Amino acid sequence: MTILTFTLILLLGAYCAGLLGSLTGLGGGVVVIPLLTLCFGVDFHYAVGAALVASIATSSGSGAAYVKEGITNIRLGMLLEIATTIGAVCGAMVAVWLNNSFIAVLYGGVLVLTAVSQQRRRSEHKGVAGSEMARRLKLFGTYPLKDGTREAYELTNVGGGFGVMLLAGVLSGILGIGSGVLKVLAMDGLMKVPFRVSTTTSNFMMGVTACASAVVYIQRGNIVPGIAFPVLVGVLLGALTGARLLKVLDVSLLRKIFVFAILAVAANMIYMGLTGGFEHS
Amino acid sequence: MKHDIQQLIGNTLRRGVTIAFVIALSGGLFYLAQHGREPLPDYTRFASDEADTHTHYTTLRGILLGLLALNSASWMQAGVVALILTPILRVLLTFVDFAAKRDWLYMGITATVLVVILANSLGGK
Repeated sequence: MTILTFTLILLLGAYCAGLLGSLTGLGGGVVVIPLLTLCFGVDFHYAVGAALVASIATSSGSGAAYVKEGITNIRLGMLLEIATTIGAVCGAMVAVWLNNSFIAVLYGGVLVLTAVSQQRRRSEHKGVAGSEMARRLKLFGTYPLKDGTREAYELTNVGGGFGVMLLAGVLSGILGIGSGVLKVLAMDGLMKVPFRVSTTTSNFMMGVTACASAVVYIQRGNIVPGIAFPVLVGVLLGALTGARLLKVLDVSLLRKIFVFAILAVAANMIYMGLTGGFEHS
Repeated sequence: MKHDIQQLIGNTLRRGVTIAFVIALSGGLFYLAQHGREPLPDYTRFASDEADTHTHYTTLRGILLGLLALNSASWMQAGVVALILTPILRVLLTFVDFAAKRDWLYMGITATVLVVILANSLGGK
């Protein structure tokens, strides 16, 4: 295969990754990793570097729109970012010692969790009595409703959320994907943050967390320009298209189809990992 | 004031992403023009000594020197560096925002995040 063919296919794949990423709220890495490893046989250590680039591109690309709407809880994001960045640093350090098989199985497991969490009912968590800790940390906020008024919300279990975020950071450092699953589960499930706030805050955090590991990966040589360039360009264009489509498209059907695709990829990853399909002979 | 900084953050994200896009794309087109017909390099195996043999895209100094020397790999990687800097710049602006509000607690929290990333960029490998 020539460099030109590889670049064009990867560009198209990354475009789809950005599109799906912004439509479903998952980072672009979820598509980029299987494309690189399963289709092109690229080493996981390169694929993870590319996924980090995809995650930052998705986060920043769709983030600009969210800031304007004022939904993101910056204080909450910043506080939890201490956990995710420290976790990401640890994850990036551990990643050197992990072989392709282990990473593949871990990635498959996270994908299954992602598919399951996509089925969760989205709750706006009305009438939550916030904890004393959350009040002291000034984490309560408001978010805009369709009619222009703002709805106030409180949240709880800051410690639990912080703990899960550490784990989310470690996974992000190893796999390069935003592990948005854990972030939304922690904020939605434990801390009772309204769904729209947790999604946008998670998107904000994904970019910063990915940066914490990207600065290590780039120095280690895991981020190769020849792979990073089509991923960066493709994901950004895809995310841009996705943000426009989101306004006119009903994505619930797309989400359902996507769940099956994720499960199929997850099964493939776990199978290949367990049978040593990613190891060099 | 609050409105201004939000606008500034939104604009920073948009500009940062645009700059990263333009640099990476121009480097990429240049790379394809030079090497497009060549066979794909071996990406199937990650070598642990990768970083030392490719300083033109693994160190900041190497990337900057490569930019001057019009090395296409360095140009593409400079796009990645610009992309990485965008969220970091956003955190920096958030710190300024908290400082303007005299929110000491969150100035400390934001500074911690910045220090973790910075320590990682300098010491991490």
